[in-house]
Amino acid sequence: MELLNIGGQLASKTGTGISVLTVRPRDKAEEYAQFGADEIMLLAPLAAGQSLDAYIPVIADEAKAKDPDLILVSATAKGKDLAARLAARLDAGMCSSCQTINFDEGSKKFIMERLAYGGAGIQKITCTTRPAMATIPPKTFEAAAPAQKGSGNIRELPVPGPSAVKILEKKVREREAKDITEARVIACVGRGVDKKEDISLVRQLAEALDGDIGCTRPIAEELHWLSEEFCIGISASEVKPDLYIGVGVSGQVQHVTGVRNAKIIAAINKDENAPIFDVADLGIIGDLYDVVPKLIAELKK
Amino acid sequence: MPNIIACFKWVVDEAYIRRGSSGQLDFSTVDYKISNYDRNAIEEAARLRDALGGSAVGVTVGAPEATKGIKDALSRGTDTAYFVADPSFSTLDPGQTAAVLADVIRNKIQQYDLIICGEGTSDFYTQQVGPRLAENLGIPCISFVQKISVEGQQLTAERKVEDGIEVVSVTLPAVVTVLPEINIPKIPGVKDTLMASKKPSVTVKKDELSPVPEARIQAISLEAAKLERNCEKFTADAADITRFVASLRKAGVVG
Repeated sequence: MELLNIGGQLASKTGTGISVLTVRPRDKAEEYAQFGADEIMLLAPLAAGQSLDAYIPVIADEAKAKDPDLILVSATAKGKDLAARLAARLDAGMCSSCQTINFDEGSKKFIMERLAYGGAGIQKITCTTRPAMATIPPKTFEAAAPAQKGSGNIRELPVPGPSAVKILEKKVREREAKDITEARVIACVGRGVDKKEDISLVRQLAEALDGDIGCTRPIAEELHWLSEEFCIGISASEVKPDLYIGVGVSGQVQHVTGVRNAKIIAAINKDENAPIFDVADLGIIGDLYDVVPKLIAELKK
Repeated sequence: MPNIIACFKWVVDEAYIRRGSSGQLDFSTVDYKISNYDRNAIEEAARLRDALGGSAVGVTVGAPEATKGIKDALSRGTDTAYFVADPSFSTLDPGQTAAVLADVIRNKIQQYDLIICGEGTSDFYTQQVGPRLAENLGIPCISFVQKISVEGQQLTAERKVEDGIEVVSVTLPAVVTVLPEINIPKIPGVKDTLMASKKPSVTVKKDELSPVPEARIQAISLEAAKLERNCEKFTADAADITRFVASLRKAGVVG
């Protein structure tokens, strides 16, 4: 729905239409027309064990036949893999994890922005090819609102052949915590926390703030103190809480880029030169083991 | 016994990038490194070689200055390394990089069963080169892998997707892109560095390759990201803690 929104806006600027490619069943897919889709292409459901790569030839054939200006794909794990292979097959340029996209009337090109160097830089690029392609991270754009009804022609695409990759088993992850991207307040565990047991201190702070805890990559990946679903950063979860408070977080660029959309960024660190202070609204220079209990007491007043 | 290739990129260490006074990225004090997840790719190639026999070959495409990366890859455990070097190779787009890699792998290395790439590089993190390389070579690709096992010509992998893990299998040859979770890359010791200096490496020049395709991406600009915040500082004194909490309340983020 988010892709339909931005795609629809761009289509109206370029004076073309928008087609939706989906694996949803026909009755569910019909609703895309209510949101402006001119055409809905249905991919046949995959057989048991068949992997998404089975769709690549089907989608590539369709793209060659239809010759679109732009192909947008959701930047999920499967979407990114599929899109990159499709881009290679179509010999197309692609903007990965695109943050903004605009149509330039003068050059008749799509101008796209994305992050570089772990978030330290913003790169503006355009594709020299037709089609242009982009993968767009979930929640980058608003979902489409009910619109002037598109013609919504539904078309079924050919059944894909066997996939080279076979799925043997799917293990659905059971969430240990609520979705961190939905948290209103996040107290974040950084490497300044000495030992695993001390996470309870950060947890108490989160509770005093009526929020949840998160962590930096080393805490999840190297130390395994918390599972990955708590991990915040450009290559983990990007979050946008009202308040983010880093507890012993140094402020590596990949991490702070993941919290750049927080309303208020606060930090506690004993190193006054920690990079987190350069990107924080409010910073306490002090030992977290001294500061956090005082902070909890003050919040409870 | 499999011939395993680890692809890697010699990149700017982003931790040293500063924001310049006029909003540009300041690279004046930067150091370079093998891109983080590519170290996992090299480690996994070396691990599988140790377990299964065969060979682990490193390959990189870059400017001639990237020669340090070759020594680093060899000290991290590859048996040999191919360095595809040209001054123009520092600005290749993902499609061009994949095309050059495919050319070198097909025509110079020739023997390959498994190609391992990091899932994305720490400079531009386009996450395209692995899947594009697979497509160029006409072989399957498994992306975002956190575990690999190989038995004969059959590879089984755990790939991480949004809602969990998929255990998948494929017949080699194939490309696999790896996540940092797959292993902990060892830090090369003095012995590793000494051994690396005795290992062979091959430099491939641009004129030994097929013509590099036109760029499919045109870079318009690259600026420093703005993370402008108030940067108000507090101490750990009681009065400052009170003032800090008052600021949070004033901002309306704490009840």
